[in-house]
Amino acid sequence: MNRRAFLGIAAAAASAPALAACTVSGSSNSSGGASDPIKFWDQPWGSPAYNDLAKKVTDGYQPPAGTGKASYQVIPWNNFYQTYASAIASGTGPAVSTGGGFQPFQFAAQGAIAYADDLLETWKKDGFYDDFLPGLLDANKTDNGYAGVPWQLDARILWVNQKLLEKAGVEAPTDLDSLLAAGRALKKIGVFGFGTGTGAGNNLGSHTMVAMMIMNGGGLFDPDGKPDCVTDRNIESMDFIRQLAREGIIDPACISYTTDNLNAQWASGKVATGFHTAGLQSQAAAVKDDLVVNSPLAGPHGDKAALHFVNSVMMYAKTPSQQASEAFLTYYLKNIHQYWDAALINGVPVLKSITASDAFTKNPAQVKIVKEYTPISTTYAARGTKLTAGLAAVDGGQALTQFAQTMLQGKTDSKAALTTLQSGIEEAVK
Amino acid sequence: MTMSSTSLATGLRRALSGAGAAGPGRPPLQTRNTRPSRGAATMLALVAPSVVLLVLINAYPLVVAASQSLHKGSLIITGQFTGLENYTDVLTRPAFWKAAWFTVVFTLVGVFGSWLVGLGLALLLRTKIPAGGFFKVVLMLPWVVPIVVSSTAWNWLVATPDSPVPRLARSLGLGDLLFLADPTLAAITVCVFKVWVSFPFMMLMISAALASVDHNVYEAADMDGATKWQTFTRITLPMIRRSTYISWILMTIFCVNDFPTIYLLTGGGPVNATSSLVVLAYRTVFQDFQTGPGVAIAFLMTLALVVISTVLYRQIRKGETA
Repeated sequence: MNRRAFLGIAAAAASAPALAACTVSGSSNSSGGASDPIKFWDQPWGSPAYNDLAKKVTDGYQPPAGTGKASYQVIPWNNFYQTYASAIASGTGPAVSTGGGFQPFQFAAQGAIAYADDLLETWKKDGFYDDFLPGLLDANKTDNGYAGVPWQLDARILWVNQKLLEKAGVEAPTDLDSLLAAGRALKKIGVFGFGTGTGAGNNLGSHTMVAMMIMNGGGLFDPDGKPDCVTDRNIESMDFIRQLAREGIIDPACISYTTDNLNAQWASGKVATGFHTAGLQSQAAAVKDDLVVNSPLAGPHGDKAALHFVNSVMMYAKTPSQQASEAFLTYYLKNIHQYWDAALINGVPVLKSITASDAFTKNPAQVKIVKEYTPISTTYAARGTKLTAGLAAVDGGQALTQFAQTMLQGKTDSKAALTTLQSGIEEAVK
Repeated sequence: MTMSSTSLATGLRRALSGAGAAGPGRPPLQTRNTRPSRGAATMLALVAPSVVLLVLINAYPLVVAASQSLHKGSLIITGQFTGLENYTDVLTRPAFWKAAWFTVVFTLVGVFGSWLVGLGLALLLRTKIPAGGFFKVVLMLPWVVPIVVSSTAWNWLVATPDSPVPRLARSLGLGDLLFLADPTLAAITVCVFKVWVSFPFMMLMISAALASVDHNVYEAADMDGATKWQTFTRITLPMIRRSTYISWILMTIFCVNDFPTIYLLTGGGPVNATSSLVVLAYRTVFQDFQTGPGVAIAFLMTLALVVISTVLYRQIRKGETA
């Protein structure tokens, strides 16, 4: 080998990590023995104390005779899909896991999910099925069965900083006109009237755009589940966002805001209203007492709707025993109330028994979310009825992120931006 | 004392035959044995585990990735064989060419910016300045500090209107500068960040090269009346040319493959303004879940790197034969 060839190979080898990062080995579907432990993988859904408690809950599982106990593993959010995909492909994945909002559909489409239909039938018989808030179980329904079981909702809530509104001399907004008026008043006191962000790893800006569309009776998809972005309602909503951006009611720097940047803006009193997760109070603790859940806004045509993501627990095809997976999942869901009892989680509960608990009712923000947002909330499917694997590529995908950044720049015509988004989503879900 | 002509001739003969001038010297060189000796076999056996390991670590993922780039699959399933469709697909995407252009700009600024800063500092540190050793250590910090830490620090410096740098810009009458939110400024910020991270590497490479330059050459130039600029352009730069080309090759590879510097600071935004090919490959695979096209982008990137490295290597060879 001459030196030139060596150098070429060296350059190729230097690129290997980039290529290898995209690479996993082939799939294996062999199962272990029925008495092997049930591997349960979970994400950091709150502070480290949440994961400590989740491990304790998992360790407390008493398996049926002939099946194994459960083991607990925390999977960081960074590259979580890659972690799951690599593990599943190499046959070392979990038997049961929590995960991203569209994860059940992604892995179901690749044959890695064990459907929960039999389990739901069992729950119908013992009454646990009725403990779920109406309509939520069906969010996981696919043509082949139920890809997962919901355990919490990740809602997009309109928060207001009551103290800043009072300082600006305005009431809490009830519709787009009053939101615009509040934004103008807040601008006079040096506060941004609509906080969001679309920087690295921050999906809140994209979610805000979709939430604004859904609030106005629009959305990304038609009732048949086909991309349908360029509608009058969506254009109307995005024109409103452009107006906020052009008038300086939205921080022009927010395009590059990470979640930490955005939370810091809330915490420092630079932002007075905006869509955020249900956990904003803990993420902007400095102004916790000033933050209030605003009632859902009415759209220009009187519509009232909101966006949420259904986070599910899912079972995988590769398991020591399907019976053991189902037994553990049942046990786990019947014990998740401990997270809300200990106030260690910011998600919105899906079980009626939790929403009725003393611990939960002590949190007025959470109560208001369940009472006012959950009944009118819908998923990304919006006017459609089914979630699909392709939606994972929409949420957090390049098309929607670029669209949100474009709208926040306030320069591009809404219809043109939505047309580009339509093409991007068609490419993502095909 | 003088050496006689006889003894000089004898000495030369002995020297040419491989023997020392004064002693018996080593025996004449034997003809090369083309058959592998036992020693060579032992060496091969010792090297074999490393070679196997290298193949497993590098070749196997490359082969699997090559396969993925020719299929329409996912990270879990191989999917349908599509030939070169993924390559033609990405080559017709405007986002690919936008990323390719930014990669070129980012690499050029990263390589030559860090080289210029590194060269300047290496020359400065070559002079006798007080606490030179201390400064050498301090100047290495951007290279030594984990990129996660430095990107977080830079984000704090520039991200919001109330960050220190935008405030400084306002106080200087430059108005509200959106260092990460404006596409042009974001690209500049990312490039400057890359130069800041990389200049210590260049400084180290050039310092080592400068240390190997014989001081007599400078003294001779000084005696000949060469100016400082002439000394720099006609002695220093040519003498460190080989090291410079090598550092350019390495920094080109570092820049083209650099994912964290860009992704941690801007995520490739705003509106793809700072999306390089490696960031685009990542986002295509892990955000758009298009494994085949994403891996195809990574392969095209590798191809470009091989071409660039070969061209630069030719420059080194030219320098050697000149």
